[in-house]
Order: sequence, then structure tokens, then C-alpha cells
Amino acid sequence: MFLITQSLLSSWGYMYNCREDVQEQAKEDFIRSLNREPIPANEAMQAGIDFERLCYSIANGTFSPEFVTDGTVNKSSYGDGELMGYNKYPKNYDGAKKVADIIRGGQIQVNLRRPITVDGTRFLIHGVLDVLKAGVIYDVKYKVMSFGSLYLAGSYLDSPQHPAYFYLVPEAREFQYLVSDGTDLYVETYTRENTPYIGDLIAEFVTSVKGMGLYELYTEKWLA
Amino acid sequence: MINEPNEMTFDSKKFSMILYGSPGVGKTTLALSAPDPVLIDFDRGISRIKAEHRRLAKAVITLDTYEEVLKDIESPVVAAAQTIVIDTGGSFVTFLQDWAMRSNPSVNRQKNGAISLKGFGAVKSEFIRFTGYVKDVLNKNVIYVFHTEEKTDKDGNTQQRLMCEGAAKNIVWTPCDFGGYIQMIGQERRIFFSPEQEFFAKGCHGITGNYPIPALGPNVPNDFLTRIFDKAKANIAEETAEYIPLKEKYDAAIAKGKEIVAGITDVETANAAMPQISSIEHALTSKKEIGVMFNARIRELGLFFDSVLKKYTPAPKED
Repeated sequence: MFLITQSLLSSWGYMYNCREDVQEQAKEDFIRSLNREPIPANEAMQAGIDFERLCYSIANGTFSPEFVTDGTVNKSSYGDGELMGYNKYPKNYDGAKKVADIIRGGQIQVNLRRPITVDGTRFLIHGVLDVLKAGVIYDVKYKVMSFGSLYLAGSYLDSPQHPAYFYLVPEAREFQYLVSDGTDLYVETYTRENTPYIGDLIAEFVTSVKGMGLYELYTEKWLA
Repeated sequence: MINEPNEMTFDSKKFSMILYGSPGVGKTTLALSAPDPVLIDFDRGISRIKAEHRRLAKAVITLDTYEEVLKDIESPVVAAAQTIVIDTGGSFVTFLQDWAMRSNPSVNRQKNGAISLKGFGAVKSEFIRFTGYVKDVLNKNVIYVFHTEEKTDKDGNTQQRLMCEGAAKNIVWTPCDFGGYIQMIGQERRIFFSPEQEFFAKGCHGITGNYPIPALGPNVPNDFLTRIFDKAKANIAEETAEYIPLKEKYDAAIAKGKEIVAGITDVETANAAMPQISSIEHALTSKKEIGVMFNARIRELGLFFDSVLKKYTPAPKED
């Protein structure tokens, strides 16, 4: 049985969907993924991780803004002894709050595995759902560029993430990508009915990887 | 007014929708097939609509400034309407840019006369505020008509996008219930509510896939969107009838699961919790969610599952 993840499928798909000038890099990155080499978080990835953490901390009530004070004490009769200052909210707070309001109460970082047989071969699909709540899978995305300079509608149509996660959670009704630039929120929703079967995508992946002469590497490194 | 969820009706439910497609495909005429529409003609395109279809609008608001819109939407004619058609969303944003630069030139206007970044922010905020006000306060359907902009991807495939400047082209999608792309296929016009490679579309409440748009004639009323909205309302009622018992069962399961997990303090209570959790009647994703809560608590307590004994034991001591 071989392990398969949405990030491996994404890395493979990116080779075909990326701009021509970065195709070589995309192929190198895919081979590194096949080799299971850890990819150090770049600035954009780290910003995404930080944004997710901020969303979760707001959602679970552990977030508190930084209290900024120069040490001045309120000496008036109604605020005697109170330290004066103001609450400083982090960058991206507005967008994270919008996400948090949606995911509050859900389970965060849900780690799941489920076997699947494709063309006679057994695979084990593994995924970590950002949030699972009341029949809806949520995935939090952060965009470094502002919404004014992006066109998002349909961005996730070809993503293997919702097909993989729908398979991992057969009882889920909806998958929502919650995309923020730190200020605004864009939601792209997929239902089971408009989502392709993950088995078909895995079959394509296998054919493609075999065609590239990399299937042996995959089966060696991704043994479940 | 307090309603029990299962007693709610959706007859007065209002929708928001994006309609987009190539010039001349009949977007505005289709928008006017929504119930009792008022057209806000930002694009000055009303003359392009056939006179008999134009008459379907309860009123057409033509304007020179955004301030006029704010005044006109409070008029008795708009109060009597059920739908407001914004034609086009892209031109609406242009009006908002003009308004933002005039109302706060020192902040929203650059020296060269172009809108500043803060100006774009003001436009976006006002776009969101206006949409929310029309839909939620005035309680109208809102239909945004957009022209398309054709882009080509690296493989030469055509992709259709909303023609609109700034963040509005993205944020407009989120609150919209429907996003319909209109396309001519042979001699037939169709509207798509499911996304395809060439365009994005959005459906809900059972309105998905694509539908033929009837060709209008003397005996064919222009009521396509009114029927779509009616169908969506009927579907919402059905979905609600199906979902409410599931949600109630889910809420009860989660409450019970939380109670059981909160009671786990050691090996004995962890072992006692397992059959209790198994006996919960689950709905939606409650089983997986309670499993996550349970595992987190077990990890927190440092307990170890003995797969031979099939029960939790204290974690083995390290030498």
C-alpha cells in the first residue's frame, strides 16, 4: 500500500499548471517531494502558517491583543491606578477574525487516513484537515498579495484537496476554501456533487509518474 | 420575531446573484426577469434593451454620481421593488472611485488624478456596505451584471473573468448565492451555475449545472430568474426539513461527546469513556470530531493504548 497526500498531488499538478518559466523548478520540487525531502518554509509559507495560527487562536479564544503602554497611570477619580494604553492588534487581524467567526467551534488540524484501491493498487490517502465542523471541511488559505491585485474565482477548481478530503470524510456535505489577504475574505465552496472522484486523479498521477520514469521512486519512498 | 427552525418559511427569502457573459448575450434582459426589478443603469446601457423587455423594470435609475444612487434607493419606487439590478458591477466600481476621490481627495486621490491605494480601500468598503444594505436592510434581491474579460492561460485556453477593477471582483463572489455565466451555444443561450475550466460559476440550494434560457417572444414572459428563485426557495424548504433533524442530532452528539471527554482524568475514566463514546448516536461529522477531542485529551494526559489488552494504560516508563 502506498501513501498519497493532496500536497504530493498538488506538487505533481503544479508541474503542468505553472508558468513556463518556472516549469523546471516545479519539476525539481516535485522530485524532492517524491523523495520526501523536507521543504523549508519560505516567507509566503511561513506567513500562511502564522495566519492560520492567528485564526485558530481567535477562534478558540486564546488570542489577546498586545496591550501597549508607556507606563502612565490613570490618576482620575474613576480610573485610579489603572494603567493607560491601548490594545494593538496584529497585522492580518481583520481577515483572521472573519475566518475565525466561521470556524469557531470546529475541530482543528484533523489528521485522517483512508485506504483506496485504484486499478488494483492499494493506496492510503492521508490528509490533515484545517477544520472540520458540522459536516463542512474548511481549508484556510492566506494570500500575501492583496485581493485588489488577484483574481480568485475558480482558483481551486483543479485542486486535489477537496476531492481528497471529501474521500477522507464521506459524511462531509461541503468543502469551503476560506481565502484571506489579511483584510478581506473570499470563500469558494465545493459540494460532493461538483467534485471529481479522487481515484481518477490518482490513476492519472500513476500514469504520469510511470511516464516520467519515477514510479519506482514513488513506490520506494511512499510505502505506507 | 422568534421562529422555531422547523416552522420557518422562505417565501420572502432574498438572493444575491452575479450574471456575467459577453456583450450582447442578454445579461440585462435576463436580470430583468427577476421579481419586480429596478435597474440602476451605471453603464447607460438601457437603450440597448428591446423596448418590450425594458418595460419589465419597475423603474430605471440613471445617474451622474453615486450620491444620486444613495438618494434614489430610498425612493417609494425602490421600496416597492423586490430586486435591484446593478448594471454593470464594473461601472458601479468606477462610480465609487469617482465618489471616493471627490469625498476625500487628500486621502483617496493621487497627485496625477488617479485613485490612491487608500481610495481603493474606500471603494471596497463602500461596495460591501452598499451590497449589505440593499440585501439585508432594504431586503431586496441584488443582481450584479458584469461584462467579461477574456484571459488566455499558458496553454492558450480561454478563461472568462468578471470585468472589474480592484478587490470588488473577488469580494463580490462571497456573499452572492448564485454566480451565473451566460453563454451562447449554437442558437441557444444557456446559463451555467457550476464552474467549468473556461469560467467560474456558483450555485446553491439545488440550482447547479446549466439551464437553457428561453427565447423571448410575444407569449413568452421574461420570468426565468423569478422561476429560478422560486425553485431555490422550494429547495431551501426541503433542505431545511432534511438538515434540521441532522443538526439537532449532531449538536446533541457533540454536547454528549464534550461531556464524556471532559470527564477523562486518568486511565480508568479513559477506558470507561470508550464504550460511552461508541454508544453516542452520531450525525454529520460528529463521530470524527469527537474522536479528535478524545485523542487530544488522551495525548494531554499522556496515556498509552495497549493494542493487546485493547485498553488505555499509563504510558510505559522510560528507562
